[in-house]
Amino acid sequence: MDWIVFGTLAIWLICSVGGAILVKNPVHSILFFLSSVLATAALFLSLGAELIAGLQIIIYAVAIVVFYVLVITTIPWEKIKKFEGVYFKELSIGFPVVLIVFLLMGYMVVKGEFAQSVGKIEDNVREVGKTLFTSYLFPFEVASVILLVAMIGAILLGRKEE
Amino acid sequence: MGEFLVSLIVALIKIAVVLGVALGLGAYLTWFERKLAGHIQARLGPTVVGPFGLLQPLADGLKLMTKESIVPRGADMPVYYLAIMMAVAPALLLFSVIPFGPEFEIFGYSIKPIVADVNIAILIVFAMGSLAVYGTIFSGWASNSKYAFIGSLRKASVIIAYEVVLGFAVLGVILLAGTMSTVGIVEAQLEKGIWFIFYQPIAFVLYLFCMLAESGRVPFDIQEAEAELVTGYSVEYGGMKFGALPLAEWYLNVVALSAIAVVLFFGGWSGPQILGPFSPYFWFLVKTFGLVFFVIWLHWTLPRFQARDVTEVAWKIMLPLALLNIIATAVAVYITGG
Repeated sequence: MDWIVFGTLAIWLICSVGGAILVKNPVHSILFFLSSVLATAALFLSLGAELIAGLQIIIYAVAIVVFYVLVITTIPWEKIKKFEGVYFKELSIGFPVVLIVFLLMGYMVVKGEFAQSVGKIEDNVREVGKTLFTSYLFPFEVASVILLVAMIGAILLGRKEE
Repeated sequence: MGEFLVSLIVALIKIAVVLGVALGLGAYLTWFERKLAGHIQARLGPTVVGPFGLLQPLADGLKLMTKESIVPRGADMPVYYLAIMMAVAPALLLFSVIPFGPEFEIFGYSIKPIVADVNIAILIVFAMGSLAVYGTIFSGWASNSKYAFIGSLRKASVIIAYEVVLGFAVLGVILLAGTMSTVGIVEAQLEKGIWFIFYQPIAFVLYLFCMLAESGRVPFDIQEAEAELVTGYSVEYGGMKFGALPLAEWYLNVVALSAIAVVLFFGGWSGPQILGPFSPYFWFLVKTFGLVFFVIWLHWTLPRFQARDVTEVAWKIMLPLALLNIIATAVAVYITGG
């Protein structure tokens, strides 16, 4: 049964990512991107990582994408850059890189070994919390200080001069 | 395969029941709201259609469905229609994590009256509450109208601010219960024999404000603001397309968030056994509708905040209060070993 769920979600994810880079209207593009973020959350949920699925929706699908949406929807239509045809020079440089990365990842998936799950974890919220506040306390605090500095900086930049 | 089939059928029945009840309730709350508003303003409310005007929602529904469908010029059609779905779906999904009663047994299968008993239920509530922001932003943007777009931007700023406060307000309850599962929170209250509102009064008041703000109820209804924005982001929608947006925002959201408030602060289905096996459901519905009644009562009594004040109150007063509340709760839980 698992592969039906996984297959459906994977097709959903690939279609929405493809849509995000292929449509011309920026708002439609961001909608496809939102759809791909939701598909990723659904994938996490189907793999039993409930906490990550929830955080994926709250942080990526809402907190981050909503600011893209706010910016994109408030830009006047006249100022949007029009479609100029396919960028062939950039494509000829970029495509080999993508191909090599894809081959490397494919090799890893086919030949490599993945981290094995160590039995079923009943309450993954509790487990993640414990790990964060014991083994990874220092990186966690460093990240929080960086975020705090960024937040204060953003407030200072966004303030009007009085 | 038998086990799987049975659980699938049970899940489908649960979803059908919850959907039917939620949508029916949404329709009948319009009648209730109009009746209540009438009596608050010394009028009678709807009386003509059916006894006590009880058939009014059906008449309204027929009227909305038979209206001419008008789409503004320059509207982005796919997004215009998608926005309705994006407003209604999160409101309905909120109902999936509400536990209506304790586990019971029927034909040898034990069944929980909740659609999805996951251990991140409260996170799902936050997620769906904030996903509703897309319905409002895109409906305002797609209708190619300034008034609608101002309304949706106001609503977006309100939802972003109050979603943060909501998250921090509810953390206190999660600390006390030690779980994020809605069933677990109710069971923790039953075990301790006390409703969490007595431990967390500040959190409850903050939650109530957030609930009002997210569902666009007075005094935080600056995005509707009938007098300035003529109901804001839904102004360019007509017929049943218009009907769906307030249905989701004013009714489904209010009922779902009230039910979650009951779970978090009022002990869920706990109450004296006065109706035998049905008393948990009875108490759950009584408490939920008490809160819904309170919200509608406020809606028709209070004036409205200014647009700027609403977000200022959230960031400058409510958020620090919520943080203090969490710290105090955490210290208390640590000392008592809760």
